[in-house]
Amino acid sequence: MRRPYDLALGLLTAATAATMAAALWLIFVVAPEEQVMGAVQKIFYFHVPLAAITFLSVFSLLAGAAGYLWTRRAAFDHLAVASAEVGWLFCTLVLVTGPIWAKPAWGVWWTWEAKLTTTLVLWLLLAGILLCRAYASTPEQGARIASVLGVVAALDVPIVYKAVDWWRGQHPIVFGPGKTDPLAPGMLAALLVSMLAFLLLFALLVAARARLAAQEDRLAALVEAAVRSR
Amino acid sequence: MKTYAFLFWGYAAVWAGLTIYLIALGRKLARVARRLDALEGRGDAGGRRAT
Repeated sequence: MRRPYDLALGLLTAATAATMAAALWLIFVVAPEEQVMGAVQKIFYFHVPLAAITFLSVFSLLAGAAGYLWTRRAAFDHLAVASAEVGWLFCTLVLVTGPIWAKPAWGVWWTWEAKLTTTLVLWLLLAGILLCRAYASTPEQGARIASVLGVVAALDVPIVYKAVDWWRGQHPIVFGPGKTDPLAPGMLAALLVSMLAFLLLFALLVAARARLAAQEDRLAALVEAAVRSR
Repeated sequence: MKTYAFLFWGYAAVWAGLTIYLIALGRKLARVARRLDALEGRGDAGGRRAT
C-alpha cells in the first residue's frame, strides 16, 4: 500500500517542481512589466493563485467535514484535517502577500476594506479549526467540532468572493463580472501556469497531510492495542 | 529600486512559509513511519522492505 502512494507522491512532487519553475520563468522573463505599478505587480502572480487555492481548500474541507458528520468515516476526517491545515497556510500567505502589494499600490499595509476583512475572518475560522483539534478533550470531539466549523468556514467563501460587488471595496477584480482591463497575453499565461503550479502543490500537500493523519490514527490504535494486551 | 525590495520580500515570504511547512510535514511523516515500523516489527505489514 505504501509503495504506490510513495510513487504517486514522488510523481506529484516532480510535476509540481517543474510547473513551479515554468511559472517563475514566465513571471520574470516572459510576462511584461505592468506600466503603472512596475515590478511590484508581479506579486499578483502568486497572490491570486494562493487566494484561489485557499477557496479550493475550503471546498475540500467542506467535502471532508460534511462527509465525516454524515458517515463518521475516518477517511473524510483525514481529508478535512489536511484541507484545513493547507488552507490555513495558503490563506496566511494571501494575507502576507496582499499587504506587500497594498503598501506601494494604496499607500497603506492594511485597510478594513470588505474583501480584506472577510478574508481575515476566513483565516480566523481556519485557525479556530486547527485549535479545536489541538485542544479538544478527545480526538472524536475535536473532529466533530472542527467539522461543524469547517461548514461555517465554507459559508464565508462566497462572501469573500462577492465582497467587492456587495460593499464596493477598492480591491481589484481579476476574474469574473466587473473585471476592468483584460490581461496581456504574457501576463495571462504566467497567471494560468502559476495557478496550475499552486494547484499541484495543494494536491501534494493535502495528500501528504492526509496520509500523516491516517498513519497517526493507525499508530494510536496500535499503541492502544499494545496497552490492552499487557 | 524600492519596488523590487517589496517584490523580493513578497516572494521570500511565500517560499519561507511553504518551506517551513514542508520540512515540518516531512519530519512528522518520518517520525510516525519510524514508530509504526517499530510497533509492527520492522514494518513488512505496511509493504516496506525490512532494513
